[in-house]
Amino acid sequence: MTPIVLALNLALSFAGLAALALSLDRHHRDAFLTRAPTNRARSLRWTGWGAILLSLAASIALDGWNFGPVQWIGALTGAALLVVALLSYRPGWLRPAALAALPLALLALPFALRG
Amino acid sequence: MRQGFRQSMAWLHTWSGLVVGWVLFAVFVTGTATYYRAEISEWMRPELQAGASIESGRAADLAADYLKAKAPDAQGWFIGLPQPEKPLIELHWWKDLVSPMQHALLDPRTGAPTQARDTQGGDFLYRFHFELNMPPLWGRWIVGICAMILLVALVSGIITHRRIFADFFTFRRHKSAQRGWLDAHNVTGVLALPFHLMIAYTGIVTLAPMYVPWGITAAFDGDAPRFFVEAGLSPEVRAPAGKPGGLVSLAPLVAAAEARVSEPLEHVAVYNPGDAAATIVAIFEERKGLAHLHPQIAFDGATGAELGATGAVRPATHISTAFVGLHEAHFAGPALRALFFLCGLMGAAAIASGLVLWSVARLPKADERPGFGFRLVRALNVGAVAGLPVGLAAYFLANRLLPVGLAGRADIEVRIFFGAWAMIALAGLLRPHLRAWRESLGLASLLFLAIPVVSALTTGAHPFDGEARFLGFDAAMLATGLLLAFAAYEAGRARPQRRAVQADPAAEPARIPAPRPAGTPQKRNAALPQARRSA
Amino acid sequence: MVYRAAVAGRVVLAILGGYGVASLCTALLSLTLPLVRSEAVTLATLVSFAIMVAAVVYVFAARSLGRAVVGLGSLSLLLGGGLWLVNGFA
Repeated sequence: MTPIVLALNLALSFAGLAALALSLDRHHRDAFLTRAPTNRARSLRWTGWGAILLSLAASIALDGWNFGPVQWIGALTGAALLVVALLSYRPGWLRPAALAALPLALLALPFALRG
Repeated sequence: MRQGFRQSMAWLHTWSGLVVGWVLFAVFVTGTATYYRAEISEWMRPELQAGASIESGRAADLAADYLKAKAPDAQGWFIGLPQPEKPLIELHWWKDLVSPMQHALLDPRTGAPTQARDTQGGDFLYRFHFELNMPPLWGRWIVGICAMILLVALVSGIITHRRIFADFFTFRRHKSAQRGWLDAHNVTGVLALPFHLMIAYTGIVTLAPMYVPWGITAAFDGDAPRFFVEAGLSPEVRAPAGKPGGLVSLAPLVAAAEARVSEPLEHVAVYNPGDAAATIVAIFEERKGLAHLHPQIAFDGATGAELGATGAVRPATHISTAFVGLHEAHFAGPALRALFFLCGLMGAAAIASGLVLWSVARLPKADERPGFGFRLVRALNVGAVAGLPVGLAAYFLANRLLPVGLAGRADIEVRIFFGAWAMIALAGLLRPHLRAWRESLGLASLLFLAIPVVSALTTGAHPFDGEARFLGFDAAMLATGLLLAFAAYEAGRARPQRRAVQADPAAEPARIPAPRPAGTPQKRNAALPQARRSA
Repeated sequence: MVYRAAVAGRVVLAILGGYGVASLCTALLSLTLPLVRSEAVTLATLVSFAIMVAAVVYVFAARSLGRAVVGLGSLSLLLGGGLWLVNGFA
């Protein structure tokens, strides 16, 4: 329930959802002006679901079965809103933002484990 | 209904959403504000300084002294003990179950009525969100029915929206007005869908025994108190003995209770206080966890002997109380609470965009006269969506601008809230539509931006003075004001009033009162183009 | 006119029939679930709202109003009969 766990969750689900968004042709075109090549779309999709599941695992591991899922869904919603906002106002920023979110999540991890 | 399952569900989604949208918008906004009920109340009573040391036992005795003088023959007293963030004794008492609840606020140091300004604070928004300021029974039934219809609208909306995953991130704000509103409705609805489903269902569950008492009727012969006792939700309360009796001092009982439970003691309830068989119940804050379960210990009012206590509950009861806990989110720390708040706003936005979408999808063609139903919906949209923020801002401003000692102050604040709201609703009827949107959203924005300034001027307490108590509240008001300013700007940047959908003979809207010549083939609904797009 | 009457009929059926079916279900489950009675009541009440939503969706999805009436009616009869059997009216 600490803010740092929530931050970890937010960062992970943001990165995951951004990858999922970019795996879709429409949004890939928004961000890179081209369709996503098939294998790239596939790897983005795997990465996306992976990050989202990792985020679920982390929240349950850190906050238990009661609060973990609640926290996870809350973070997913917030992160998804952020992805949509970026896609519709600054699509070019989505990839760098998602890439920046991953090390942030890594950075938050030790604090989350300690707290 | 219509041909095909999905079409019927699209119809159901459109109309169920429309009929309750205006009420639900208000319920969502005030309910969302309720996540910060304590903070709002604190801001609205600036005279109180939080954080003074608190003696629960002494406060309980002061409360009992006051009530013994004021309402010795009441059927029940409900004493809210002072808490660090709310240094007040809050009293409720009732003569019987039909006459209205009485209320008083005492200073916990003196036991006299508080010197703080008379206001309902955040409690008004809290109560409004499930009682609509009506007689409780009426309000609760109306909100309950609306919540039920919301649930139906959510389920039918999910069925209708067949491209949930493909359109998950899609918000095409530069395409036609209708497309933009549809996307806005989908994004706010789908991204926070778990929240919407949760909040609608758990909201109904908070009052479940009132809405569906038939289980209690069947299994308990309608004896609801028995049910709550057996479920472990409340200790047994004795029936009055019918002869007068004295009441023990509350302080020792408070001390005994506090020694037993680690949670802070929140309330002390006294049932039949003047009777020989009075029952005193100590009610604690919820234990840490999702479930909304307040530990309770009951004492004999005449002797102070313990009568019983609530303990662990069984699984179904635990689930049910966890539903209530999820609705209230008392367990959420600041960050998670902010996310709940955001989800609540997304719910309000989904409702508002759905209402606007209904009217945008039915814009009459250039040579058509808009029908009565169409104009009514548009006017109600302005009144409900733009009027409520104006009312809220007026409520907060009235709290600062009305003289502190004014008689009936709390009621006047509430009347100003409704007055301002009604004024905007009227303006929505009288002004040209787009201008009405722009002007009322602009007004709401200005009023919200004015709140921190007015507050600083009238209370003399402002951040530049080193007074940081209300920094969070002020920031929230400024943010709301800026958001409304953005909305006003967007509303003014009206898109050309053309039909958003390409000439599509099937897109003829089914207006509410349009008589349908016999034999006309049923026309498809225009409000939910995604069904058509995918067809 | 026929169309509007049919819509009105469905609305009435959804509200009254939906609530009726949910209520009967709650009463029956409260008496028959193999749990402590307070637990049975709680669980039955908890699911009653989902049952009502399902009933409403069914009423609006049914091919015709008549079909919906028959469907909901026979379900109510069934539930009412069950309730009578377990002596819920006694």
